[in-house]
Amino acid sequence: MFIEIIDIIISGLLNGSVYALMAIGLALVYGVTKAFNFAYGSFYTMGGYFAWTLLVSVGIKGGYYTVFLTAIPFLFVVGFFLEKILISPLRKRSDWQMKAMMLTLGLSLFLDIGYIAIFGPRLKSLPDIVEGTIDIGPFAFMNQDIVIFILSITGLLCFAWVLNNTRIGMAVQAVAQNPMGAQIVGIPKDRVFAATFAISTIMVGIGGILLSQKNFVNPQASTGIMIKAWVITAFGGMGSIKGSLYAALIIGMLEAFVGYYLGMIHIEVAVLTLLLITLAFRPQGLMGKE
Amino acid sequence: MNTKSMLTVLGVTYGVIGILPLFIGDSSILMRILTMILIWSVVASCWDLIMGYAGIFSFGQVAFYVIGAYSSAILSVSLGVPPILSIFLAGIITGAIGVIIGLPCLKLAGPYVALVTFAFQLALEPFLKGPLGKAIGSGGSRGIISVPPIHLFGMDFSSAELIPFFYFAFVLTLICSAVIVVILKGHWGTAFLALKDSEDFAASLGVSAFKYKLLVFGITSFITGVFGALYVHYVGILSTRMLSTEVFTILLIMIVVGGIGQYPGVVLGTVFTVTVNELLRPMGIYRLLIMGGLVVVVVLLLPDGITGLIQKFSDFRFKKKKNQAVETQESSV
Repeated sequence: MFIEIIDIIISGLLNGSVYALMAIGLALVYGVTKAFNFAYGSFYTMGGYFAWTLLVSVGIKGGYYTVFLTAIPFLFVVGFFLEKILISPLRKRSDWQMKAMMLTLGLSLFLDIGYIAIFGPRLKSLPDIVEGTIDIGPFAFMNQDIVIFILSITGLLCFAWVLNNTRIGMAVQAVAQNPMGAQIVGIPKDRVFAATFAISTIMVGIGGILLSQKNFVNPQASTGIMIKAWVITAFGGMGSIKGSLYAALIIGMLEAFVGYYLGMIHIEVAVLTLLLITLAFRPQGLMGKE
Repeated sequence: MNTKSMLTVLGVTYGVIGILPLFIGDSSILMRILTMILIWSVVASCWDLIMGYAGIFSFGQVAFYVIGAYSSAILSVSLGVPPILSIFLAGIITGAIGVIIGLPCLKLAGPYVALVTFAFQLALEPFLKGPLGKAIGSGGSRGIISVPPIHLFGMDFSSAELIPFFYFAFVLTLICSAVIVVILKGHWGTAFLALKDSEDFAASLGVSAFKYKLLVFGITSFITGVFGALYVHYVGILSTRMLSTEVFTILLIMIVVGGIGQYPGVVLGTVFTVTVNELLRPMGIYRLLIMGGLVVVVVLLLPDGITGLIQKFSDFRFKKKKNQAVETQESSV
């Protein structure tokens, strides 16, 4: 009983840490650009397929090192140009938020079906990042889980460092607070929008590479991941990065417990109920501003 | 768009659709397409009403459609309610659920509403497939297989008899379109527009956001539920496949192509989308690829859909005529 609970908590922490990486990317892009990205989950799958192509299809040297080193620039370029070509022309219109939602919904269908057309409908499995297990007392930890946890936390810390200590990060924060004011002091607003979108693409893509090792690369996983990331962001407070971190861990735990005790099929219902209850009492989310 | 041109566009479109069975009544494929155009045109119009006019980012339209279908199917299969009554009851059930979903949404800002309603749609599928859904008679992942046809005036209306069903759906479509026009052009439509443009200012003039937003949730989900129920009695089988992103995106294309908040435009968008969707069916998986790409292209290039294009074109011709008139005047002088 006790060991079961510890196991569930570990699995919740693991999923929660990767969810945090993805949800914070989304909180960032919503906080800065105010664009509601429905294609977010498709970039998760894109990360998975990118890793699969390199590791299994091509069989590249260097394994996951090469994958991460190439995935980051690849996802950055994809995100940057998608924002430049698709989202930024919409920004001039009055109802652009609604249009951006619709456009990204179409984009997500396009990408998901595109994956099926290119790679086929079957699930793809990625090799484990490291093999083996460690025994600590009565518990057995998979090395893979530990590495995934460490990598996603490292990713989060890197992100926090960039946001708070570099000029780029400060420019992003300035645009989030007041786009007009940022432009007056000479920050290239449009480039910051595109760069933020690209950074969020990197974060969800890396999340895809990490979690697909455990859950397979699945072209139909995109919607579920997208809604999960959005639920976490809304639950934590839209645009609040700290709130998203806590919310991701809570949702990760909730999923692990509900999945274990009630069955996997109830996860989505439980998550939605939690979101509805939270929003009914705190419409701005856990840590969002009024 | 003024009332006169709105009614003209609606009258011409539905008039043509209503006459077509006289010519193509022999072809069952074309009749099926025509019937689906009718059903989707009302569902898409309701979405346009709530999103384009009332300005609520409700993404639960497909969910309401499926709830209507399931409630009517469950009522008629498990409880033996006659379909003509169960369709109406399904509308009331869906309307009530719409109001319940609408209540938390009233407090929330735009994107949150989209999120809650979309998550509602995603959570509906595991609910219907799971033990809770089976308990109310959803049939789990197998779905409901033998839904009885509508029986009225000693006649059966179902997919076995395409032309009678078409005219049955046609009458319902005309009634619902009339209701939508009355709502849009009456006091309510003005209130919706006022709330969409500036909620605070509208409230200061005594327009209650609470009342009107809840009303629009109730009405649109009622009509959507009725048409979902109509659909299920037409095809006779039902499963959770209706809840896929594919159906959602196709509905989205109708409203994007027609123009958001340009009411009769969405009917034209439906005619276009259903036809293109059927034409592309032999292409297999590439059909959805094209449909997804279509959303992106239309949103980028046609801000107001077909309606915007027609308006631009007629403005252009109007200006040209005016210029010609000026030129002829000048030359005569």
